[in-house]
Amino acid sequence: MNQWLDDRLHISRLNDKFLRKAFPVHHSFFLGEITLFSLIVLILTGILLALSYEPSNSLVVNSFDPGTKANPNLVPAAYHSALKINAMPFGDMLRRIHHWMANIMVAAAVIHMMRIYFTGAFKKPREINWWIGMLLLIFASLTAVTGYILPYDNYAYNTVKVIYAITKSVPWIGDWAAQAAFAGRFPGDGIIPRIYGYHIMLLPGILLALTGAHMLIMIKQKHTQPQYAKRLAYKKIVGVPLMTQQTPIMLLLVLLFTGLVVLFSAFIPVHSVEYYGPPSTQAISSIKPDWYLLWVFGALAIIPGFEWEVLGGVISAEFVGAMIFPGIIMAAMFAVPMLDRSKENMYYAENPTNHPVRLAAGVAFLVMMIVLSVAGYKIELIQGGLLTTANANAILWILTIGLPIVSYFAVLGIVRMIRALREADERDALAHAHADD
Amino acid sequence: MTRYKKQDPEITRRKFINAALGAGAAVGTVSLVTTLGAAKPAFRLTPDKAPPQPGDILVHADASKEGQPIKMSELSEQGVSAWPMGKDKDGNNVIRKAEPNNQLAVFRFEKDRFKAPEEGGHAHVVLELDGITDQGVVVYSSICTHAGCPVPNDPNDATKLFCGCHSGQYDLLQGCKVIGGPPPRSMPQVPVEMKGDQLVLKDTFVTAPFGFLNEADWETYLEQVKEILG
Repeated sequence: MNQWLDDRLHISRLNDKFLRKAFPVHHSFFLGEITLFSLIVLILTGILLALSYEPSNSLVVNSFDPGTKANPNLVPAAYHSALKINAMPFGDMLRRIHHWMANIMVAAAVIHMMRIYFTGAFKKPREINWWIGMLLLIFASLTAVTGYILPYDNYAYNTVKVIYAITKSVPWIGDWAAQAAFAGRFPGDGIIPRIYGYHIMLLPGILLALTGAHMLIMIKQKHTQPQYAKRLAYKKIVGVPLMTQQTPIMLLLVLLFTGLVVLFSAFIPVHSVEYYGPPSTQAISSIKPDWYLLWVFGALAIIPGFEWEVLGGVISAEFVGAMIFPGIIMAAMFAVPMLDRSKENMYYAENPTNHPVRLAAGVAFLVMMIVLSVAGYKIELIQGGLLTTANANAILWILTIGLPIVSYFAVLGIVRMIRALREADERDALAHAHADD
Repeated sequence: MTRYKKQDPEITRRKFINAALGAGAAVGTVSLVTTLGAAKPAFRLTPDKAPPQPGDILVHADASKEGQPIKMSELSEQGVSAWPMGKDKDGNNVIRKAEPNNQLAVFRFEKDRFKAPEEGGHAHVVLELDGITDQGVVVYSSICTHAGCPVPNDPNDATKLFCGCHSGQYDLLQGCKVIGGPPPRSMPQVPVEMKGDQLVLKDTFVTAPFGFLNEADWETYLEQVKEILG
């Protein structure tokens, strides 16, 4: 059959060009693969969920609790279909797998990015793939956010209300942009069809296109090689070929990984739409975004209120907290390949301890993200009596700025110690080697 | 030979193709952007989207009792969610709930506990003591001026509100003045009076509620509402 196909499609050329791609053997190189597999599982479970989901916020009678004829119990169709999905065989499991897989996809992408950052793999010639990776991270977050609006329970309703408000807070164009993005003044009649379109067509399309570009560029440029490859065969590509050695490893990985997520989903439920009920006027005492957006949420909570009028537009704390501040953070991440450059093309992953400033800056950045995420729990910190209204902002700001600075210098110190010990060891080894002669 | 002599064209082939491509791209972009404009539906103001009007009756917003007038016996320091209910042109009752930012909260304190908002901090704090009934019933917008979440009572101090979204805090006894967190403005009061056994609004929001850039923006909107709904 190979021959038959080869005569017609020249698959041997495909084989030579793509299927023989060498994969370095190191566990940290599985992180990107896990992200990719999560995306595939998300698409499959997403298709199954879309088959039963009703993208509409028109009111329908809740068939599980119809009320009376005179006073029917009306709920949005989207919410109703979420209830129906929960009631259908394996339906709740599908929602759980989709939900946990999305969390794991973002987590794997973040850790994958950490591997790239700490080993300097973003340097020339791989800057473009760092930027595409950044876009993937941003669009994955947007896809996740639009995803948890779709069940349209009270939690989702309040979430999308805040997102609408954030869009609207953009000076000058915000009002128009929010109405255009969310189908009219909140809550527009078409808000759920609009978000459904984003979540199942627009954003996955962008994600797939970017993923394709990410893969092709990676195949073209080859992986950065782990350090062992340098000792094994200098400036040669070392690794196992995709076909057939890497493929069974990948298959094992995807089956084991998906199995684990399914097992996890069987025991850990997701956000219960029944508990929150359909959109209502009921205030939710504590509402939080998913963990990877908690830092933006924390920043919003500790930026004090202000409004500046500039040329007819209003610059508000909300705009600064939810747009400008995350914009600066994203810009800093985009700028990484321009801040830490190499003149020559990079072949080998760098040892993080040989680049202490980059390592320390990365750790400081992560510490800041964690402190801001903790600041997202400001309400609980105040209501629990740990902080007071008067001192909460000051303390959280000091920690947000102070802890990263402390960890920056701590990392520099520790790395210096490690290197001193290592150099001492090398000197000793050298001295003893000479003594043996 | 003259038969084969080439005339110099007025523009080169490359120039022509570039110009054609540019024109095509421009026309295409403009038409696509125009289509994008259709993403924003027109806004039509209907009585159920209008802001609270003088004469509106306060009715329950909670799903189980929606539309029933709020009674004095149901009120306490814990806020009761309410919608303003007015009339449309034909005199039918209209609950103004199509605009979620019309959500109000009704509280009751002893009347002498209210005090004029202290100066400092945030501008635009207005507490109309006339708008609090003799029994101490006060009505505020329920929507946080920061990101538009409905704000519940602070579990540790019922005279305060504590927003579950970004930790905005308000003082109910001082005109819902901001006392903590990121909100830029106080949540506006809606003056009310007792008529029979119903709570009736005397006015709309005394300052700009959530969703408006500033007082001027809010005033303009009120005028538009008056014009459209008469």
